[in-house]
Amino acid sequence: MGYYDIDDILADGTRFPCRFNYDVPGLGYLEGNPGRPISKNAKLELPLWMVHLLAVVGAQSNEDSRVEEPLPFVELLPPDLFAPRVLNAIKSGATSLDLHSISPHFYTLAEKWATLFSDKELSQVLKDMLLERGQEINNHAISVSMFSNCNQTNDSAVFLQTLDEFEKTIYRDTNVNCKEMKKWLVLK
Amino acid sequence: MALPRDLSIGFSPQEIQFLIENEPIRIMPRITTRKTKKQLAKDPGAQWSLITCDDSTVNNMVAMNSCEVTLWLALLLKQQGKCNIVVPSWLTLQQLEKYLEFELKNPSRFSNLPWNWLVVSSLLFARCSDDFQDPVHLLRSKVQDLREVRLGKVNKGLQYLNESHLQLENLSLMEINEMRPYACGIMDKLRTIHDSSNDTT
Repeated sequence: MGYYDIDDILADGTRFPCRFNYDVPGLGYLEGNPGRPISKNAKLELPLWMVHLLAVVGAQSNEDSRVEEPLPFVELLPPDLFAPRVLNAIKSGATSLDLHSISPHFYTLAEKWATLFSDKELSQVLKDMLLERGQEINNHAISVSMFSNCNQTNDSAVFLQTLDEFEKTIYRDTNVNCKEMKKWLVLK
Repeated sequence: MALPRDLSIGFSPQEIQFLIENEPIRIMPRITTRKTKKQLAKDPGAQWSLITCDDSTVNNMVAMNSCEVTLWLALLLKQQGKCNIVVPSWLTLQQLEKYLEFELKNPSRFSNLPWNWLVVSSLLFARCSDDFQDPVHLLRSKVQDLREVRLGKVNKGLQYLNESHLQLENLSLMEINEMRPYACGIMDKLRTIHDSSNDTT
């Protein structure tokens, strides 16, 4: 994930629910009412690029601040994206899951989430899902005829609709490579 | 960017072919380029002078005396009817059958075909099909069988991808290149996912 990676930037724009731990004057525009202070315990949805810093950095209080780690500005609340409901759906059948409708940047977000919270369980679920869906992606990518782009079966088209952005690049790379290979084999 | 995206991931099959065309192969020349001292003194004539491969063999060819040249040169000479290519010993019906037998007997291993078998065999089938001892259509079908058996094994092996490593003994360059974008893409993602939760920093 690079600084100039468009997909990474788009993924970072996804909003996550969080709660403020402080009263902050002037930040009301985050809630939609500029000019007002933001109040403690206000729940709002903020883009990931903002919260992932706010959830780490705390206010520099005037009192003895080095007693313990300062309370961060916001606290991240568990998002719908990684609710047990979703994880169970992944575990029960990753290939039949419509990942794109859950989030088009699911892997990137999940990875960032796992980094933030050192969530071993989430990363294990992700790894299993990636392998299982990867098999399916590979099968669809190598079984496309080289002579036309539009004779995909309905089945494959339906599956491709469910891919998230990362899986799409994998599909595309595999597919292009496979087509090149088939072309070479025929022409030789 | 300067390099198209598809080429930045791996080699194209044409590039693999280019790499493999640099390998030596045995030929039977039909021309004589060796000159006696007398001839040389009288008229040196045109001499090969190559900078990427050894040109002494090319300048010392004697008709029907086998010699070794690079594959691209052999194919060029063959095209002009100036040589016959000596088919490598693994590209015979008998030998291919042995490989195939090994493949079928060992579902978890690949037979030790040369690293360039797919490219060399398809090049030779296309460009010098008259130089084979065995009927070419039978050889073709054996090679096709081998390819499919191995492809099946490769696809079976892809379900064991992990974040650390992958062992691919005896897999040829073309076959590796075929699985490269998938295997590398998935393994790289597995690695970053694995690292994400195990960050010690």
